[in-house]
Amino acid sequence: MFAVMETPPILPQSASEFAQQYDLLFWYMMGVTVAGGAVVYIGLIAMCFLFAKRSETQKPMRILGSTKLEVIWTVIPLLFFLSFFVWGVRLWDVAINPPKEATEKEYLVVGKQWMWKIQDPQGLRHINEMTLKINEYVKVTGTSEDVIHDYGVPAFRSKFDVVPGRYTAAWYKPTLTGTYHLFCDQYCGQGHSQMVGKIHVLSEGHFESWQQGILRTADHKRPVDGSPAWQGRLLFHKLQCNGCHFSQSPDDPTPPKAPNLEQLWMTKRELSDGRTISADAEYIRNAIRNPTMHVRSGWKPIMPAYHTGLATENDLYNLIAYVRSLKPGNLPYRTEKSPTPIGGAPAISQDNPAPLPAPKEGGK
Amino acid sequence: MATLTETPASYESLIVERLDYTPQMLPPREPTAAEDETRRHYLNHDYSLFGWLFTVDHKRIGLMYLVAVSVFFLFGGIAAGLVRTNLITPTGAILELDQYNKAFTAHGTIMLFLFLIPVIPGVLGNFLVPIMIGAKDMAFPKLNLASFYVWFFGALFFVYQLLVGGLDTGWTLYPPYSSKYSHTNVLYAGLGIFITGFSSILSGLNIIATVHKMRCPGMTWGRLPLFVWAMYATSVIQLLGTPVLAVTVVMLAVEKLFGIGIFDPTIGGDPLLFQHMFWFYSHPAVYIMILPGMGVINEVLTCFSRKNIFGYKAVAWSSVGIAVVGFLVWGHHMFLAGQGYYLGMVFALLTMLVAVPSAIKVFNWTATLYGGVISFQAPMIFTLGFIVLFTVGGLTGLFLGTMGTDIHLHDTYFVIAHFHYTMVGGMMFAWQAGLHFWWPKITGKMYSDFWSRLAAIVMLVGFALTFLPQFVVGYLGMPRRYPNYPPEFQIYNVLSTGAAYIQGLGYAMPIFYLTASLFFGKKAGNNPYRATGLEWQTTSPPEAHNFPETPTVYFGPYEYGVEDGLRIVDDLERTAKPSSNGVYATANQGVTSGH
Repeated sequence: MFAVMETPPILPQSASEFAQQYDLLFWYMMGVTVAGGAVVYIGLIAMCFLFAKRSETQKPMRILGSTKLEVIWTVIPLLFFLSFFVWGVRLWDVAINPPKEATEKEYLVVGKQWMWKIQDPQGLRHINEMTLKINEYVKVTGTSEDVIHDYGVPAFRSKFDVVPGRYTAAWYKPTLTGTYHLFCDQYCGQGHSQMVGKIHVLSEGHFESWQQGILRTADHKRPVDGSPAWQGRLLFHKLQCNGCHFSQSPDDPTPPKAPNLEQLWMTKRELSDGRTISADAEYIRNAIRNPTMHVRSGWKPIMPAYHTGLATENDLYNLIAYVRSLKPGNLPYRTEKSPTPIGGAPAISQDNPAPLPAPKEGGK
Repeated sequence: MATLTETPASYESLIVERLDYTPQMLPPREPTAAEDETRRHYLNHDYSLFGWLFTVDHKRIGLMYLVAVSVFFLFGGIAAGLVRTNLITPTGAILELDQYNKAFTAHGTIMLFLFLIPVIPGVLGNFLVPIMIGAKDMAFPKLNLASFYVWFFGALFFVYQLLVGGLDTGWTLYPPYSSKYSHTNVLYAGLGIFITGFSSILSGLNIIATVHKMRCPGMTWGRLPLFVWAMYATSVIQLLGTPVLAVTVVMLAVEKLFGIGIFDPTIGGDPLLFQHMFWFYSHPAVYIMILPGMGVINEVLTCFSRKNIFGYKAVAWSSVGIAVVGFLVWGHHMFLAGQGYYLGMVFALLTMLVAVPSAIKVFNWTATLYGGVISFQAPMIFTLGFIVLFTVGGLTGLFLGTMGTDIHLHDTYFVIAHFHYTMVGGMMFAWQAGLHFWWPKITGKMYSDFWSRLAAIVMLVGFALTFLPQFVVGYLGMPRRYPNYPPEFQIYNVLSTGAAYIQGLGYAMPIFYLTASLFFGKKAGNNPYRATGLEWQTTSPPEAHNFPETPTVYFGPYEYGVEDGLRIVDDLERTAKPSSNGVYATANQGVTSGH
């Protein structure tokens, strides 16, 4: 039982840009708190030796206190604590605000009892494994299909709760190749401790060859997959979203029954109850799952709710990616049939990275 | 009120020096053997079962709490033993996944709701608060009994639910896991928590009323023993916080029973709402657990170093500060849960502020030792252990309350080690210190000096070794509530489990030598430690109404350092003449009500 024990590490690996920044603050705090603890311990030990009872007639001093000392040991710790706070907030700022480069490579992780469904920026799905290229910024957006989970990567000092009904996020810039633990850190039931995975950080060359091995290729030898936006477009037709959200075709007099979704992303939307809300991922998500939550002003609340049976968390994310990608003239006609499904045509290669359908000629 | 016949010494004045006291450094007069034989006290005035079960004597109720919390501690300890034993191997040594989840939940919930929260308020608070303020009983003796039974039956019901079906949600009960996905007895266990909560509310109310209205003449706010201050602060938290927990549990039940969407996002609820409400109670609850312990430390530390507490006002107000600010920091449990950025910032700032009063206390305790005459009996070893361990617990808390560093440490073993250092290293050691300190007063018997010191050292060493490796493994990233873990973490878990067995041995030892002291222990006498507190000025064990007559207090609680020492009760008549209507003089400051 004990013979197989591995040599224990003392400190965790520090494998990302954030981990290095994190460790600076951690060791600063460690230094201050160890020094503070040492003051107390040395004081205690010294007092216990100096003032130990030596005879029955020994008399104690009568000291009631000292305002000066009270002020000193109120203010000095307070200043150090405030320095922790300020530095801590700055570090938090770094952690929650992905750099611009990171937002271009977005992973989706969906927690589910008891596995991680991870969709990479190419739209490929993996279970419990995430493969990253060294020195590349990536953003990770998470949500949950059931209970609250937590996506934690100790080597990156990164962790965030994935909460059903919300999007939360983190970002990484791995700086050290290797394979690292991925843990679910929020208790989620029976298999909580088995909801673990691996984060692989590969060097650039390795990453390319890994991608060659797994990714769809230009010569159609492997199953074709699409980017999140492309998959979202398929869903848009499959769920018949374009029955209401459509651009009016010249030979079809039916007016749209729902708002046009082109260039919707991050614009201010006026709601029927007078509020204005920014059209971010959560807004679009709620608009699909729970449409009566925010009704666009000037439109009737006729949108049906798409529960998990109709659209999974992955589907929602891909729909959002699609809506996000819609440029003027992109929104399909009411009568337009579904585009080519997965497995069929256009392969996405390095030469042809645009995963979006080409704008319709003469569009709107 | 009576007219004033003599100005009593105010706390910081030098008037005490001209009062004529029997030297306090000498042991007080003991009853003769013949007197002792025939003496009636709260333990022997009535032997009937009825006299115990329906007693309204706060001292007997305190003893009933003692028995009950000890049994529940045993249950919680067994669950802890199962958890630690299972963690010896990376794939779980003895338990299935579900069993492990139920075991750690049982450990957490029993230790928190049935041990840590009631132990010092229930046992020592009940026993000592009225005596320390010179009262005959609590303000509402029957309510006191009622709150014991409410707690006891709620606790039995809760434990029964754990045994018949178990609970696997962790003590935090986060939905939607608890409301929708868990197949265990969430509803009934919640009912158990709901019921015990009422006891907390009623006890808190009772203590507040007692401290306000029952203090004997001369017992001003500035002369209250710091244990009473701490109990007062605790009671305020109990009164204000516990109803929120009750409401939260009810909301959880409503969602589970009727499908009304409160916390479940698929039916329109918000899981974060639960976390806000839960921690609104449960963060102050950690102060419910630790504040009474801090109160005990003040009493023991002053007695065994023969010193006034250093900075009485600072220590007293820091308790109140903790109680007030402690209500405004709950969000630091939720930095990573998706709460807003600015919200997190406010909570992080307030968390740094609430750390200050605890630091003040530790510094004041250390300074109290300066110039003292320190002896190292068991209560003092426990107290020093408390300071040593609580310092670690408090300082590591800073890492978790800082937004940036919490990211990596959240929900790892670092958190486990931190709160065990405060809750066990703090509260458990304070409880042992208090139990050993007042045991001679409660039972009239003295326990074995050797065994008690040995137990203190075994507990201290066992405890420190159990949880130090957990800081390391936590920083390495091992998440909490994991029965299976990566094999490279095994060495730390084996160390931790081995030390936990030593710790368990330490907790078992008092059961034997304290029980033995009841039968074979030598008589303790009224004041074996020559302490100044009012509770030591009455007999051991105290008589049914605590004091032969209502005492009058003339000085602060920790006058160990006055030249010739002090005695309070026996010298009453020499220093204060009864006024014309036969009532003793009262202090001219503060509220001095009594019967």
